[in-house]
Amino acid sequence: MIRRSALPLLLVLAGVLVGGPATSAPLAHREVLPNGIVLLVAERPAVPIVAMRVLMRAGAVYDPADQAGLANLTGAVLTRGTAKRTGPELDSAIEFVGGSLQAGAGRDSLTVSLTAQKKDLTLGMDLVSEVILSPSLPAAEVTRKVAEIQAAIKRSDEDPGTVAARALGRLVYQGHPYAFPIEGTRESVGRLTRDDVVKFYREHARPDTTVIAVVGAITVDEARREVMARFGSWARPTTALPSIPTATASGSMREETVKRELTQTTIMFGRQAILQTDPDYFPLSVASYVLGGGSASRLYTRVREESGLAYSVYSWVAPWRHGASFAVAAQTRTTEAPKVAVMIREELARMGREPVNERELALAKQYLIGSFPFRLDTSGKVADFLVGVEDRGLGLDYADRYKDRIGKVTAADVQRVAAKYFPPATFDLVIVGETK
Amino acid sequence: MRIVLPLLVIVALLLPSGAHGDNRVVAATLDNGLRVLLLEDARSPIVSFQVWYRVGSRNERQGATGIAHFLEHLMFKGTPSHGPKQFARLVEENGGQDNAFTSQDVTSYYVDIAADKLDLVIDLEADRMQNLLLDPKEISSEREVVIEERRTRTEDDPGGFLGEEVSSLAFKAHPYGAPIIGWMEDIKRITPDEIRAFYKTYYVPNNAIVVAVGAFKAGDALERIKRRFGKIPRGKMPPPVLAVEPPQNGERRVTVKKQAELPIVYLAWHVPNQTSNDAAALEVLSTILSGGRASRLYRDLVYQRQLALEAGGDYSYFSIDPNLFWFWATPMPGQTPEKLETELIGHMERLKTEPVTDEELARAKNQIEAAFVYQDDSIHQRAALLARFELIGGFALKESFMAKIRAVTAADLTRVARTWFAPEQKSVGVLLPKS
Repeated sequence: MIRRSALPLLLVLAGVLVGGPATSAPLAHREVLPNGIVLLVAERPAVPIVAMRVLMRAGAVYDPADQAGLANLTGAVLTRGTAKRTGPELDSAIEFVGGSLQAGAGRDSLTVSLTAQKKDLTLGMDLVSEVILSPSLPAAEVTRKVAEIQAAIKRSDEDPGTVAARALGRLVYQGHPYAFPIEGTRESVGRLTRDDVVKFYREHARPDTTVIAVVGAITVDEARREVMARFGSWARPTTALPSIPTATASGSMREETVKRELTQTTIMFGRQAILQTDPDYFPLSVASYVLGGGSASRLYTRVREESGLAYSVYSWVAPWRHGASFAVAAQTRTTEAPKVAVMIREELARMGREPVNERELALAKQYLIGSFPFRLDTSGKVADFLVGVEDRGLGLDYADRYKDRIGKVTAADVQRVAAKYFPPATFDLVIVGETK
Repeated sequence: MRIVLPLLVIVALLLPSGAHGDNRVVAATLDNGLRVLLLEDARSPIVSFQVWYRVGSRNERQGATGIAHFLEHLMFKGTPSHGPKQFARLVEENGGQDNAFTSQDVTSYYVDIAADKLDLVIDLEADRMQNLLLDPKEISSEREVVIEERRTRTEDDPGGFLGEEVSSLAFKAHPYGAPIIGWMEDIKRITPDEIRAFYKTYYVPNNAIVVAVGAFKAGDALERIKRRFGKIPRGKMPPPVLAVEPPQNGERRVTVKKQAELPIVYLAWHVPNQTSNDAAALEVLSTILSGGRASRLYRDLVYQRQLALEAGGDYSYFSIDPNLFWFWATPMPGQTPEKLETELIGHMERLKTEPVTDEELARAKNQIEAAFVYQDDSIHQRAALLARFELIGGFALKESFMAKIRAVTAADLTRVARTWFAPEQKSVGVLLPKS
């Protein structure tokens, strides 16, 4: 299947965390369990399935400086054995009922995800709690995953988008843990041992920073009972929470070129932006949408529709917990890469120089507000949204607040944030492709 | 106007609604031949509205490959009443999301939007079914976009590049051998006149299915669809695809070199589609081989022996014409594609002689069934699944699908493995990193 346009995953995920719903009904029930776990429950009785997410503050941002990839490795090994079952036994148990049990680390957090039919929920929750509370993190499984991750990193070197994003992250977040790739490097992963994994998990998996969302054909009472039965006796540690500095831009803008024998050149501009908790985050979201957010955006119109220079051109805001970035990317035939880079710079500058017109502004606002229900149209998406909003401290009313705040953004607001965050000279730039 | 309620739907109307709430599909065929399937789902105030045209790369001729996909791009380039770029703008400023895809068999367009915008979407889709501008200037700039898309997907993507080589090797006579996006020379050459003729031939109401799932009253939605789409005249029935792939008389093999970090191996065998009694068994077979981490290929090649970074198999149950059963593997560094090829074939040979275990069989069936239940959670997926079944003979086939899967025995799997996977009837593709 070939799609007309492919929105990058990152854009979709960022969107999930910034959307606003059409209704003001509470999204979920929220309570704090005695050991500090935040439990969020949304009842969706129509379809007999349940999605569960357990988010722990154990993402790559907590990797020690010389151990890039540790959180990612820990996430990968988590489902590879518990006190009761081996990895293959876990796989067989959940897949026998057509369910799915996954664990993985992102930049900020490590999440265990379950999807199961309602009738299999007891089994599913048993597996989730075993994986979280009594993972055996076997040495042989660590060795396997190290080799697998190293091979995956090697292979990803053939994907220009991944190569560009990795290089850009290094430039934009220089000096901050976000500068390292989540998966680490082949060298850093090669140095990791089972002891590192055990220590990392022991230090970062704790109930008082854990968020659990249960969404689907389940009531609040059932969810509380089942979660308490399994996680209620998980003891809160007395140690202090690890702290992570907020990222700050380095100020020196750099360019990096990565040579690859390809027919297209990938261009990626990026810089630090603002956290989701900043009031300017709302006009920034609108500005990014007008510039390169959809099929009506300025970049899509000029670079793709009018000039036929690219299939893929877009901008996005990536808001993490301790820092945020704004980026613009395009892929074009190598001979035209300089022309496309100029167009992107011109459009960035124009956003700060003159106000957006009324129709563009209305379109961006209405799209951001109106498309929201589709970001919450399955139990899995609701569960992802709930743990994300909780972890960022945005509050369960964030969705409504967002809708309200986006609705109030003016053309002057957009111009003001664009003047601040879009000057082309403030961006780092990565180019991947054939170079002379 | 003729409304056809198939027997199964009438039966469903008489039964109490199931665990998923309202499952009654209202089906109608308009006088102009347009097929309409509607399903009420009021969980959220939204609707997924989809138009599926029975045309894809299988309807293309040599020298004009990629025309179906090219036309899909041009469907966003305007009509006299909604100018170029207006389609996406109107959808987005009404808070909707839209996209489209082209496959070998179909071209599908969707808009997911607030339910109270249904009229807007009906109007836009009906308009572009009949009145597409196909302005030569737009065609010439979009041609460059499609060429860029081909560069991304094929020229610069090792997996895409190898897949194209193997498909074209496996099919001598049938258009499934050509890439959906088209050969580069064809994309560059296709003329506006050819695109216009293709549009007139295939974009007729009697060659399309409208499917909507969401918060509407089916009777009311049907009236609105009739009002707008009903005015479009029936077209001539598009020409059937007559090509039949002859039996493969020997192994075929291709090796390509490309800038890449790891090699790739693809194996492909010709297999029947869902019209065959073997189809359900092939579906189960594919799940046993590669459905999840407990499946054979993952557990043996990726997990236990770490010969592969990835390995899997895939069967297209819904293919309109008989298609390929694919296997793939990416060798771990230090392993060779030859080794992985031998291992993949070894798994196939084992299936011919040794019955699968009861646990494997039950697991595969449960996985297939659960995937069906999960799809019901999204109105978009519900609509797409109805369309998929309608394309192969009727949405009601969805109801009998699980019964067919449940009936598959271990002996069936041995039989289909022996019938369809002869060593001398495979096509093999190997991609080697250019040093």
